[in-house]
Amino acid sequence: MADQTGAQQLFDLWKKQVEEGTRAWLKMAGQGQSPDPQAFWRPFMDQGMQAWSKVMTQGQPSPDLMAQWKQFLDQWIAAWSKVLEQAMGTENFAQAMGKQLEGFLNQAGPAKKAAEQHIEATLAGLGVPSRSQVVGIAKHIIALEEKIDAVDDRIDTMLKRLEELTAAVRKDRA
Amino acid sequence: MKDELFTMTPDLPGMSPEMVARWQEELRRNALRMKHFSEMIMNPKEPEIGPTPREELYRKNKSRLYRYESKRTVKTPLLFVPNLGISRPYIFDLMRKGSFIEHMTERGFDFFLVDWGVFGPEDNDLTFEYAATKILPRMARKALEASGAKEISVLGYCMGAPLSLSWLGSAPEFPLKNYVDMAGPVDFSKIGLFGLWLDPRFFDADKYVDTLGAIPADMVKMGFKLLKPTMDVSTNLNLWWNLWNPDYVAGFNALNKWANEYLPFPGEFFRQWVKEFYQQNKLIKGQLRMDGRPVRLESIRCPVLAVGAKEDNIAPPDCVRPLVHAVSSSDTEYVELPGGHISLIAGRGASVHCWPKVASWLEARS
Repeated sequence: MADQTGAQQLFDLWKKQVEEGTRAWLKMAGQGQSPDPQAFWRPFMDQGMQAWSKVMTQGQPSPDLMAQWKQFLDQWIAAWSKVLEQAMGTENFAQAMGKQLEGFLNQAGPAKKAAEQHIEATLAGLGVPSRSQVVGIAKHIIALEEKIDAVDDRIDTMLKRLEELTAAVRKDRA
Repeated sequence: MKDELFTMTPDLPGMSPEMVARWQEELRRNALRMKHFSEMIMNPKEPEIGPTPREELYRKNKSRLYRYESKRTVKTPLLFVPNLGISRPYIFDLMRKGSFIEHMTERGFDFFLVDWGVFGPEDNDLTFEYAATKILPRMARKALEASGAKEISVLGYCMGAPLSLSWLGSAPEFPLKNYVDMAGPVDFSKIGLFGLWLDPRFFDADKYVDTLGAIPADMVKMGFKLLKPTMDVSTNLNLWWNLWNPDYVAGFNALNKWANEYLPFPGEFFRQWVKEFYQQNKLIKGQLRMDGRPVRLESIRCPVLAVGAKEDNIAPPDCVRPLVHAVSSSDTEYVELPGGHISLIAGRGASVHCWPKVASWLEARS
């Protein structure tokens, strides 16, 4: 009996934590409406309680407790996943993410350009080919490969045409 | 000595023999968990991936066309088109008895795979249009030549579906026997979280590409991790739970290697992919043009199978299903199978649900 009371207290504490956590997440995500945490935690909370009561009334410790604990954690993760998905599926979240990304690009752009210019100048001073020069050579090779492919295609087309003509001539002679 | 410890059944007061045996099994599993955990940390083994024998048939820049060994009893060859960028295609041939490609070759398919490769800064000018209308048709032609067949079936997975559809929809003269869309988005208005995050009101694709040039692999990784933030927690929890099982650990090692190997996107490819597909949804609207030709899904008249995954949050079923209504084929089928975007095609569930379905559907029409 004392054990069951202890378990109840533990679950009350956990329930409170889930409710507060959910409220905080939804607030962060900027959802205007008041959230109902019961909607997501109730199904797995009930299952957890049932499993816990079963274990407590069995009379002897069972390894099933481990499986039930794993199931409980799976449901916990699934519930959080659902909450996060809801929070990230809002326009407010997308807007916040877009702003953050734009801020990053505003900082990264000039910094990247400055770093590239500095490296180019240093490498030029050392007489070593720069990244952009190597990339330029690679682009030329790719373009060359494309031209070879185009020539290859034309030869294929001509060979096919030649085969067709040969077949037609043979047919005429026959 | 260790075995004896786990098999002897001591007489414990107040505990039934059955319960004792179950506790022993639990202890045995915990001992194995510790053993495998220490092996993973102290002596990590490089997983053996891509076990099905294959030959490189053709290469163009970074991209490769592979042909897999098989008895080739199915008359029509199959060209598999996966996504460009994001991840490596060895997920389709991950490990022995856990490989889609192995399954298909064992069923007698003459299987060709397009491996787009890993693009570098020199490929930043590569567009979606170029991949769809220059690289893909050439690969398909090479596959047809090698097989000696007159027609070929095409299977597009994930982004490979819109890529191959953009080509096939603008090339009605191509001898296409069957088409399979596996978790490939077609109607981008129903694409879910990515669609919202990439909405033009919140995401400036031009600024992104103009600033960064290419889309770094770390950015791609961040986007996908954000899509399912609890994924790593549940993966590690499942690993701990199944750590006693050596088969699970081997599968985890291979899958984990793949799951952490993200690839960058060429800049111009990303720009066109985001703007014309995610933001403007041109494919399903019939507004897409490739290489000066309109892309018309209704010009596809061969049998079409679309496969959606119930838990897919990258290409949700609602954005895959519309393909069967957009084509002109009289023989179309849409199936929704259990699993997510990856587990649709890789893993134990896939070997039960997806692989046999796709193979049987194609066999009946090849």
